[in-house]
Amino acid sequence: MSTERIEGALRAANPLPSEALAALDLGGGEAALGRALVAESALAGETAARPAGTRRPSRSALVVAAGAVAAAVVAAIVLLVGGGASESQRAYGAELVRFAESSPLLLLEGPGWRVEDIYEAGHGQYLPKGSAGAGSMEFVTGRPVPPDSVRILPDGTERGLAPASVRQRKVELSWHTDDLGFGWGAVPHPIHLPVLDTTALVNTRAGRIVIQDAAGRHVIESGGPGDREMAAVWKENGYLLELRAAVPNLAAFEERLGWLTRVDLQTWLDAMPANVVKAADHDAVVREMLKGIPVPASFDPGMVPDEGLTTSRYQVGAAVTSTITCLWFRQWGEARRTGDRAAAAEAEKAMATSRHLPILHEMAKEGGYPKLIRELAAEMPRGYRLHAGHRWRLLPQAEGLGCARRGIPVLPWKQRLQRERRERQETN
Amino acid sequence: MKRDLAASGDLTRELAEVRFSDLYRRHARELLGYALRRSADSDDAADVVAETFLIAWRRLGDVPPGDEARLWLYGTARRVLANQVRGARRRDRLTERLRGELRRRLPARPPREDGPILEALAELREADRELLMLIGWEELTPTEAARALDISPLAARTRLHRARRRLRARLAERQPSNPRTAEIEVEEAG
Repeated sequence: MSTERIEGALRAANPLPSEALAALDLGGGEAALGRALVAESALAGETAARPAGTRRPSRSALVVAAGAVAAAVVAAIVLLVGGGASESQRAYGAELVRFAESSPLLLLEGPGWRVEDIYEAGHGQYLPKGSAGAGSMEFVTGRPVPPDSVRILPDGTERGLAPASVRQRKVELSWHTDDLGFGWGAVPHPIHLPVLDTTALVNTRAGRIVIQDAAGRHVIESGGPGDREMAAVWKENGYLLELRAAVPNLAAFEERLGWLTRVDLQTWLDAMPANVVKAADHDAVVREMLKGIPVPASFDPGMVPDEGLTTSRYQVGAAVTSTITCLWFRQWGEARRTGDRAAAAEAEKAMATSRHLPILHEMAKEGGYPKLIRELAAEMPRGYRLHAGHRWRLLPQAEGLGCARRGIPVLPWKQRLQRERRERQETN
Repeated sequence: MKRDLAASGDLTRELAEVRFSDLYRRHARELLGYALRRSADSDDAADVVAETFLIAWRRLGDVPPGDEARLWLYGTARRVLANQVRGARRRDRLTERLRGELRRRLPARPPREDGPILEALAELREADRELLMLIGWEELTPTEAARALDISPLAARTRLHRARRRLRARLAERQPSNPRTAEIEVEEAG
């Protein structure tokens, strides 16, 4: 019996295939367990520690971690339409409108303040139902505020924290609608402040973070007189909201809370920054990025995943290049298995152009993804990757780009899995 | 910059809850699947999920970020399952509602036609069986399975090769009474 047969028989014997698992409707059972776990640990006095590390988590990172922002970072794509058009002429994309309709429609209407960025929560295949309606916004005044990049040195001192005058020009507002009940955890010495028509629970020392290193657990408090980080949480219209800001004092925080204003949908949409891509533009951006990229015959622009309300140009670039890379590697793998040298050579030649692709040059300034693509391309003629003294087959490395998750598996056994799933779905 | 070395459970907890909520949202369903595939009944599976996430909560500092967290949870759940077999405490109070939903939603398992495969699998060493199931059922790559099992990728590949060989041998020992097995054997022979 071949390895493939063994694998196929094993998969067929799976007592709970992944699609059946995903379709399982457990009502509130999962959320109830989540709440019970936190409550149980509180009763037992169990406290979890932050991972050891040297980097202070930016608030944005925490929001990402909270699941309030995972998939769709709306950042750097320039609007292709409306450059000279008046605001009233802007036709907002359906995805942005959808996101707005699931948002609490609040703006920070302080003098000189504006929306700098918005983020939408993503939900993966297995996220429980009801976790939609999560997102966050960044408001700033003056120039954009760069993200924190603080390092905590071995002697416990911090480096890289932006000056208070910079950090205090930003306010972050996040929200979610799920009923897990997290976020109301123990707030030390809380105070109450009015916000909108309700009352918020305010942590006036939210800037304190805990790290754990070889020397034991440390609490580090960022800020001091004239420089505090504070966070307010409250519930409203089914949302759990949090406003967080670095402020000189409590009065300044109270002032920021007071600037929060409910607005209508159109006003909220009109307040979005120019760098927010409209969903309708996603296809245009993809088309622009595809210029000059050799694509396999099996490529269709619809294969490039549109994660909903968008994403940064880097993320769109990654989606475009990984989709094409997956397709070329799939062709390359099949060609090598069947001895089709022409098809393999075509894939290698196409991938070799990755050294010159403008979108990869652009992305290389922000992250390491282009380097990975180029390395994979360079290793195709050799057929394997040398790492730590071992030869690694290239197809699993390419699969690591997330090809199967994009519906373009390159490994034969993942391709079979995909076929079997489709057949089961068609049967059902 | 003031630095206060006094530990503060409350503040730690505030941060930890944010991370834990994300961990739970992302991976509870996958972990439930892992547990259901390996447990005698859904009550046991709910218990494994609860126990695993309680460990994750207590040791949140050890849980790696990103998708690696899923592999860490699988590895932890594997140890929880082993303890469950040894009669560790149950988490009935925590899992009451989930257990009820699972009983309602999961149909009683019908007799399966692939018995020989599962029987052959059951005869393997636990480490071999787990590696095969992680790849075949949780759809992990060998490298990911290696992380879940806390072994090197090279060791995983070696073990995988060995496990497949052993499973093949176990299947070959069986009579092809099962249509699926028979089909496989015939095709291989052809």
